[in-house]
Amino acid sequence: MEIKINTQDSLTTAQLIGRLDTPASQEVSGDFDNLAQYAAGTIVLDCTELEYISSSGLRLFLSLRKAAASKGGKVIVKAINKDIRSVFMMTGFLNLFEIQD
Amino acid sequence: MKKQNYKALLLVLIAALTLEATSFTQYFFSQNVIKEEASLRAEGQLEVARNRILDVTNQTEAAVRNSMWIAQWCLNVPDSLVRVCERIVQDNPVVVGSTVALVPGYLKDKPLLAPYVCRNEDGSLRRLSLATEQYDYPNQEWFTKPIELDGGYWSEPYVDEGGGEIVMITYSVPIRDENGKVAAVLTSDISLDWLTEMTSSFKVYPQAAGIILSRSGRIMVSPSPEVIMKNIHDFHTVLKDNEGFDDLNKAMMAGESGNMTVKYQGVACYVYYSPIKHTGWAMAIVIPESDVFEALRQNGIAVKLLQLLGLAMLAFMLVSFIRNQLKYHELEQTRNRIENELQIARAIQMSMVPKVFPPYPNRDDVDVFGQLTPAKEVGGDLFDFYIRDEKLFFCIGDVSGKGIPASLYMVVTKALFRTVSAHEAQPNRILTRLNDVMSQENESNMFVTMFVGVLDLISGRMQYCNAGHDAPLLIGNTGAGMLPVDPNLPIGVMPNWKFTRQETQIDPDTVIFLYTDGLNEAENINHEQFEMQRVIDMARKLQQERKFKPTVIVEQMTNAVRSFVADAEQSDDLTMLAIQYTKHQEDLTYQRSLTLTNDLKRIPRLNTFVEEACEANGFDMAVTTQINLAMEEAVVNVMNYAYPKDSTGNITIEAKADKSTLSFVISDTGTPFDPTAKPEVDITLSAEDRSIGGLGIHLIRQIMDHINYERVDGHNVLTLIKKLA
Repeated sequence: MEIKINTQDSLTTAQLIGRLDTPASQEVSGDFDNLAQYAAGTIVLDCTELEYISSSGLRLFLSLRKAAASKGGKVIVKAINKDIRSVFMMTGFLNLFEIQD
Repeated sequence: MKKQNYKALLLVLIAALTLEATSFTQYFFSQNVIKEEASLRAEGQLEVARNRILDVTNQTEAAVRNSMWIAQWCLNVPDSLVRVCERIVQDNPVVVGSTVALVPGYLKDKPLLAPYVCRNEDGSLRRLSLATEQYDYPNQEWFTKPIELDGGYWSEPYVDEGGGEIVMITYSVPIRDENGKVAAVLTSDISLDWLTEMTSSFKVYPQAAGIILSRSGRIMVSPSPEVIMKNIHDFHTVLKDNEGFDDLNKAMMAGESGNMTVKYQGVACYVYYSPIKHTGWAMAIVIPESDVFEALRQNGIAVKLLQLLGLAMLAFMLVSFIRNQLKYHELEQTRNRIENELQIARAIQMSMVPKVFPPYPNRDDVDVFGQLTPAKEVGGDLFDFYIRDEKLFFCIGDVSGKGIPASLYMVVTKALFRTVSAHEAQPNRILTRLNDVMSQENESNMFVTMFVGVLDLISGRMQYCNAGHDAPLLIGNTGAGMLPVDPNLPIGVMPNWKFTRQETQIDPDTVIFLYTDGLNEAENINHEQFEMQRVIDMARKLQQERKFKPTVIVEQMTNAVRSFVADAEQSDDLTMLAIQYTKHQEDLTYQRSLTLTNDLKRIPRLNTFVEEACEANGFDMAVTTQINLAMEEAVVNVMNYAYPKDSTGNITIEAKADKSTLSFVISDTGTPFDPTAKPEVDITLSAEDRSIGGLGIHLIRQIMDHINYERVDGHNVLTLIKKLA
């Protein structure tokens, strides 16, 4: 699991690569803490290369979303695959995030 | 005014009219009777008066006649004539004066001689002489008439000018000397005062008055002194407001007797008249009509008062009757309303117990039939069942008492059962929670006996807890008998009671038969109870006949108790619930197992294990990914919570499949932990309101068809099942 973070002005893009399962979520939780610093602006989570997400990964997403909500920013989830979309559906996350193709 | 009051008024009016008609008729007839009575009384009075007058006149006449021979003898000694008079007056109290008046010229030396004796007011006698120049006695009626008639004669009334200005009448007889020559007239005067007194003392009625007329029609006695000595005609001329006296005069003067009506001084009067033949007088009694009818009038007033009183009572009774009617009507309305509401309550209560049977037509592992018959409109019995996570949760209960109070508790109990069991799978804990709630502020001291069971439809294991309820029966292939139950208290009795859990294996085809005491305590008309033995006998009979269908069992049990009770009224709510477990284990087609330490780094190993199992049982990639996610969530949960931090423990995962399902059984030896007991997350909440946790179990529920947790022999056993595609 790898995260590439790129910040330009108020727009922060995080590219998620690999499987965000439970162990991976532990690994990248520090990266997500870093991302939360930019929560006042717009954060795009680019999921083009994200294969899988577990509830631990969803928790990271939700924590970031909460930080953005408190700081007045927003979180855009971009290009999720079919499996992840169904997980988003089952958990109601589709309504919590702005989803971009 | 209300319609009923009009009716009452009408009734009182009719009663009043009837009474009035009755009293009028009575009055009419009474009047005639009273008139007759008055007539009889008046005639009696007239008779008495006549006799009295006869008595007095006879006395007077006798006094005169008896002295005739002495007077005759005394003619020779004229000076002694006065002695004759004195004797008459002295001996006869009715006589007020007497004279012997000589025929003028009978004595040569005394041309006129008429010694007169009268009685003074003090009773002493006085001698006078009528032979005065002013009083020409030889030309007086009393003197001339007897000589003319040659016999006794009663004079007309006249005012005694010489005597005492009193009205009097005189009886006189001629006296002849030895030669038969008329020599003198002997008289006795009687005052008319005694007549007046006599008539005034004749009070047949308070205001009755007498009238006595002389031969010539002079009034001798009258209620009005003004007309004394006058003609009866003067009743019209002297007095005002009199009518009919001319007719009366005519009739009286004709010597008739009878009655008529007159008006005397404006007052209508009855007059009864009759002649006094002896003296040629006529006598009448005048009675005011009001006197005659006074008694009747008073009687009438009394009757009227009684009638009014009666009518008032009738009106009062009617009013209170109507009030009662209205009250009764209101009561009836209230009763109808309550009955309506009870019907509604019954419908509500009935809608709270399951009533769609068979409840699970598409399942081949369980069949249920239940039936609740309240003794009254609403009752305190309850039963419920539903399937969650491939477990059948069921309960039966009986609230103490009957009717509305019991039904309220029934509703609460039923609702609590659903609420608590939604995330509590152990029956003892369900009952503990119910008990906590129900025993708080239980001021009415209601309690509920209750049996709660949780049947795992996959394994056939049944956990149950009995809170003071009758033990259910098990009816299966190997026999029929009572399920052993621990003696727990009913719920609502004692807070913090530790309810014990029991467990048993339900074999396929076996029926769990639950009931309330309305069954074994059903009474016939002799107050004999159906009793447990009959219930068990019936169960054994059904078992021998291999009748295991829930509908058949409940139906036959119902028939048995009905024929026992017969015509007796149902005394208690009757509830029966039969649950048949019909699952038959199938042969396994796939079986693998994996043991992991509680290290998150071992998750990829799990992924491989799951993917292999999914692939072997024909799941596509998308579903495989989901099952993988569910299994990861379940196992990570165990890794995180089963064992204390930094201690190592094992987790065993078993994958097995039959023709229809793929099951994963995750077991560990850690601390008891039931992930299925967590409340559901609300995925409709906003990001701010949503909690971070709970997503894992949510995902498992979403992905898998069945999740089941059990604590078995010191193991947490979590089973996840997915139906094959």
